Amino acid sequence: MSNTPTPPIDFPAILASSVHDIKNSLTTLRALLSQLENSYQEGVKPKEFRQLEFETNRMNNCLMHLLTLYKIDLSRFSLAIDEHSVADIVEDVVAQQSTLLDLGNVELLTEYDDLFCYCDSTLISHALCTLVNNAQRYCRNKVLLSVTEEDGYIVFSIEDDGLGYPAEFISSDGETLHQLDLANGNTGLGLFFTKTIAQLHTQGDKQGFITTDNNSQLGGARFKLHLP
Amino acid sequence: MILDLSSKKTLVVEDQAIMRETIKHILGSFGIRHIVEVESGVSAITAMRIEKFDIVLCDYNLLKEKNGQQVLEEARYLKLLPLNSIFIMVTGEQNQDMVLTALDNKPDDYLIKPFNWQQLLNRIQRCYSRKTYLSSIEHEIDSGNLYQAIDNCEKLLQTNDKKMRMPLLKMYAELTIKVGDFKTAETIYQNILQEREIPWARLGLGITAFFLGYYDQAIDTFHGLINQYPMMLEVYDWLVKAHEAQGNDEHAISSLNSAVTLSPMSILRQKKLAFLADKTENLPVAKKAYTATIKLGKYSIHRSPADYSGLANVYLKSNASNEALKLVYELNQQFHNNPEAQLRAALLEVNIHQAKGNKGLAQQAYSKTFKLNEKFGKQVSKSLRLDMAKTFYLNGNAEVCEQIIRDLIQTNIDDKPFIKDLVTLCNTLIDENYANNLIQQAQKELVDINNKGVILFQEGDIKGALAVFEQAIKKMPDNHTIILNMIKISIHDIKSSKPNAEKVTHVQSYINKAIEVGIPHEQISGLQTELNTISLQKQPITRQNV
Repeated sequence: MSNTPTPPIDFPAILASSVHDIKNSLTTLRALLSQLENSYQEGVKPKEFRQLEFETNRMNNCLMHLLTLYKIDLSRFSLAIDEHSVADIVEDVVAQQSTLLDLGNVELLTEYDDLFCYCDSTLISHALCTLVNNAQRYCRNKVLLSVTEEDGYIVFSIEDDGLGYPAEFISSDGETLHQLDLANGNTGLGLFFTKTIAQLHTQGDKQGFITTDNNSQLGGARFKLHLP
Repeated sequence: MILDLSSKKTLVVEDQAIMRETIKHILGSFGIRHIVEVESGVSAITAMRIEKFDIVLCDYNLLKEKNGQQVLEEARYLKLLPLNSIFIMVTGEQNQDMVLTALDNKPDDYLIKPFNWQQLLNRIQRCYSRKTYLSSIEHEIDSGNLYQAIDNCEKLLQTNDKKMRMPLLKMYAELTIKVGDFKTAETIYQNILQEREIPWARLGLGITAFFLGYYDQAIDTFHGLINQYPMMLEVYDWLVKAHEAQGNDEHAISSLNSAVTLSPMSILRQKKLAFLADKTENLPVAKKAYTATIKLGKYSIHRSPADYSGLANVYLKSNASNEALKLVYELNQQFHNNPEAQLRAALLEVNIHQAKGNKGLAQQAYSKTFKLNEKFGKQVSKSLRLDMAKTFYLNGNAEVCEQIIRDLIQTNIDDKPFIKDLVTLCNTLIDENYANNLIQQAQKELVDINNKGVILFQEGDIKGALAVFEQAIKKMPDNHTIILNMIKISIHDIKSSKPNAEKVTHVQSYINKAIEVGIPHEQISGLQTELNTISLQKQPITRQNV
């Protein structure tokens, strides 16, 4: 009796379809969570809700990153570039984070002028949500999301009042971050995703990029996303 | 909250009970009192038939029957969504394959699951403020008054609202294309692109090149876009059109094939691919695409009897007459009381039984076709009528064939591609001069009617002239010359008689018709200006919104 040869496994495709399934379950889970939450009166909600909210947010962001990167890798992806008001993008991020903000004592400050940005707004606000979500975890009680114009780039900055990035997470061009993430096998997916998305945004010979440092005006970490 | 949502009637279409509950809870927290929830696309359509909703939140991935996109298409087609209503598509992810499937039938916005109350509220508020801002344009578009819509665009652009500037410019350019003013559209797109490279503006520039007849330039633009944005499927559709316009069906098929591979769920692309492949005798591709079209059409308004007869004919050509017969059966099953389906089925039966050598059955089917043609002949599509003419001729009934061909020429004389198909068919089937003779006769008849009207007009009998053209329009509703003369004489009539709002509205409807049938901008815009001057001078006309 001969062994049947193992059929080739198309791991990326299996991963992608599993991500779909997990994402559906997660959506249901979050719906259940919000129903459970609604059954409590304001002020007496168990504190575990905040962490549940944070963790499910993180899982959702992570799955979204996986799916998008999968499609980019397959060349089945294009940006939907249009002109967007920075105010709308910031408003979307604040809205997405509002559930988590309501449950804790973190304050999300925003600062922006009447600026316009050429980007895929869904992707950019997703990336920003991930970063703000992350900042909420490492800050003491303040996160600042600000938008400015610097050298012909629109710059989204996320700053917090926490302890700042560890030295190996600091990069003036985002380039060194990837290898480091993969070597550690941990949380860098969000940064890698944001860097990849930033680089897809181009205008003439300019390309989007990210930087990380500890020069936050609030005293902690600062992440900057530059879009041409 | 700036916006009072409490009186907004809202429909929630979602197949998961838990999600329905959550959404209902959120909507309740906005003060919305009237919420209807359904779990399938079919019930969504039923609910929208019963009452008109202000807000529809529809899940894309409905597991049974119709999906969200099909619900939207059907609701728009059946005019179940009031002009100021908003339709938000709820999706599981930012799924480009789906989002870019049907750009001409876009929801007002997308919302990605999971979302919280604040995100939903933002979306609804943004939709409403955009709708309100653009309502003066949308109303005119809805009434078919495209020149008025363009005027309103220009007025709004002067208000210098930075946030709305791009959406307005986009609408402005699209409207100028609709009325055939391609030069203006080209300038709008060029100005935007000088400021910044934006994919839709680049596509727009390619589209204007296409309409101006610069096909090579258009194809270059489309290729450039596809290189950079491989998932921008709308570009493939224009690329296909440009290849077709150049008479290069092979390239058209290969572009369509790429689009269909990226997004196999689009019924209109599959249908187009099926017809093109069929036309070029590429039977394997035609068979695959027809099969996909039929499958996707199951719950779609784009389903048509032609998909079934198309596939059946492909089977017939591949000597699979039993498979073809099965489709005749399905055609009768799927469409009830539909003359187009009945005629297609009967016609197929004639051909199938003849191919199989069943003389008796073929004769029976032929008699059925003959009777159906007498009853419904004029109600069915022109392509089917052409097929029927062929069958009648081949079965020795040249007289009925000629009746059909004559009528087809008369009603479609300005439809150049169709007339070309008709001539090709007649040349191979009958003889070289047959169609051309009939075309000349139809043209002469047209000239005669036209001259008769013009002479009456010159003699000062405006009423008589109008009557001649009214009559002619009834007979040839899409004829360019007749529509244009009708407009000219009517304008003269208004100028020389007492002001009459009703007459102005009447002429406007002919101008709208002229745009619809594709009469060039240069021939219409002057008449529209003339009509506007009259209505401004005499008395304000009340706009009629449907």
